[in-house]
Amino acid sequence: MSATDTAGSVLRRDWRKRREIVTPEGVPLAVELAEFSERAVALIIDLLICFAAAIAIALAFLFLAVKGLGGIVFVAILNLSIFFLRILYFIHFELSGRGATPGKRVAGIRVIDRRGGPLTASAVIARNLTRELEVFLPIGILLSAGSGGWGNLLAIGWLIAFLVLMFVNRDRMRAGDLIAGTLVIVLPRQRLLGDLVEQRARFVFADHQLEAYGKRELQVLEDLLRRPNDVETRELLRDVCDRIVRKIGWTEPLPPADTALFLRDFYTAQRAFLEREQLFGRPRADKFDAASKRE
Amino acid sequence: MTIEADIRREASDLTTQHPVITLKSSEFRRTREQSWKELERLVDAAERRGVRMLSPQELNRLPQLYRSALSSLSVARAIALDRHLLLYLENLAMRAYLAIYSPKTSLLEAGEHFIHAFPAAVRKARWHLLIVFIAFMVGTAVGFWLTIDDESWFSTLVPGGLTGDRGVASTRQSLLDHEIFAPWPGWAVSLGIVANFLFSHNTLVGILAFCLGLAAGVPTILLIAYQGLILGAFIGLHYNRDLTVDFLGWVSIHGVTEITAILLCGAAGLVVAEKILFPDRYSRVDSLAMHGRLAAEIAVGAIMMFFVAAILEGGFRELVASTPGRFAVAAATGVGWLAYVLLPQPGETR
Repeated sequence: MSATDTAGSVLRRDWRKRREIVTPEGVPLAVELAEFSERAVALIIDLLICFAAAIAIALAFLFLAVKGLGGIVFVAILNLSIFFLRILYFIHFELSGRGATPGKRVAGIRVIDRRGGPLTASAVIARNLTRELEVFLPIGILLSAGSGGWGNLLAIGWLIAFLVLMFVNRDRMRAGDLIAGTLVIVLPRQRLLGDLVEQRARFVFADHQLEAYGKRELQVLEDLLRRPNDVETRELLRDVCDRIVRKIGWTEPLPPADTALFLRDFYTAQRAFLEREQLFGRPRADKFDAASKRE
Repeated sequence: MTIEADIRREASDLTTQHPVITLKSSEFRRTREQSWKELERLVDAAERRGVRMLSPQELNRLPQLYRSALSSLSVARAIALDRHLLLYLENLAMRAYLAIYSPKTSLLEAGEHFIHAFPAAVRKARWHLLIVFIAFMVGTAVGFWLTIDDESWFSTLVPGGLTGDRGVASTRQSLLDHEIFAPWPGWAVSLGIVANFLFSHNTLVGILAFCLGLAAGVPTILLIAYQGLILGAFIGLHYNRDLTVDFLGWVSIHGVTEITAILLCGAAGLVVAEKILFPDRYSRVDSLAMHGRLAAEIAVGAIMMFFVAAILEGGFRELVASTPGRFAVAAATGVGWLAYVLLPQPGETR
């Protein structure tokens, strides 16, 4: 076990699945797929909004219009207004330029075209109407009193089949995404943090000391230096510092108070070295790659 | 300002004993940082208030800054080992890309788009439509011939939920009174039919036919042919009681719309099946994504037709209590749908 591996296990891992799309300018961009839980939360929020609105409409209708028609009419109006509301709601918000309904915005996810083109109206219509078949139709059959055991069994099988489809494909697409060629992604806001490079280095490293590590180790060190300054981090830093000192054969005295400074200087020197090597066409992916290139 | 300050500090550092390290990636970042931050501000505003709320100058700047962020990203990928910087630029470029390329379509525009897209989609699927039409007609003919010879076929072919109180035991008079010229059931029942159109037998069959396209299309054709068998059995039952014309009038007032919608769903299912079976030079998933929208447009149009059919069935069928009147309405709907699909749309070149 080397220092970077111990550190790596403590550091935040990229646990999201990534996919690549190509912009119309020809630049590939990585996108992160949304989790099932986020999509479920978004759907539930949206449905609650639609349901509340539909009940309001049905109640208003009941008060304004004819008396004495009673329950059947109320249920009928409720049914119809829910159907049209949810279709219009989803299509309206996904076409509004944000590619997301209010529920999706709360969950921080949005819909994009899978191949990187603009999200077209027909794609949005297709993916939202397919939801009718995937989710609401079988639920409607289950809820309606008239259907017997066979119908219910069929509806449950139907629901499960479409749910499984979402889990078995690589891109977590439901049938609607498959037909419309869309993806649901997360889009967090990333802020620009400061550069870790030190302008004035107190510790100076020779080239042969910098040959031990590669890009992966450098980036783990970067993550480590960007961690909030707490007890655990300080411990980690000391541990990593010890291992680096041993590995590169650092002989000068190094007081414990200077650990962070030493690591930053080492990071700077290491990055400068690796960037130079990369420019000369000798990239080093990790320490094994570095070791093989040392000869 | 900060850049100048940095340079001044650097200059003063030269006099001390510490060596100055200059990284290409840091220099690169320092020169471009301002424009990234400006883009970030614009994208933030666009995400919060919508692109339309940006000022004309800002709208002008947005694509320029987006392109320069893309080029920054390409450079950074080539020279920078700073993972945070790469992630930041990637995120920024993605958000700017979405702000610029996302549609800003209103519901009205989408509806208008659909009204034009539906007939075009149907025309593109004409061969698929012909196949399901033939399957349906074959089914109808077989159902008819089977039933007029031996009426026990009626109860075999027609599922229990659809027969109502009709069957081998029905007499001519009972069919006339309880089916063909039954009295209007009143508002509540009519409205119920309209409201539950999505769960009516024929809508479900249509949607099922569409979805079975994912299973290579053969089940779609079988399902459509089976619907033909059912219709044929009904016609046969009434033929034996000398009610063919009245029954056709009763069925066609909404049936022209409804059966067309079922056939369209089947055709959409066949489009999906074709693109899965024969993906040409694309992967199957890509092929489906490219043509799935066409199929979905047809299916959506068909669902709207089911809605119209439910209105005709719930409202008009019992109110128009004469066979010639019913045929007139049926013919009007048929001609209407045909004209909608076949006549060129305004602004369309063909």
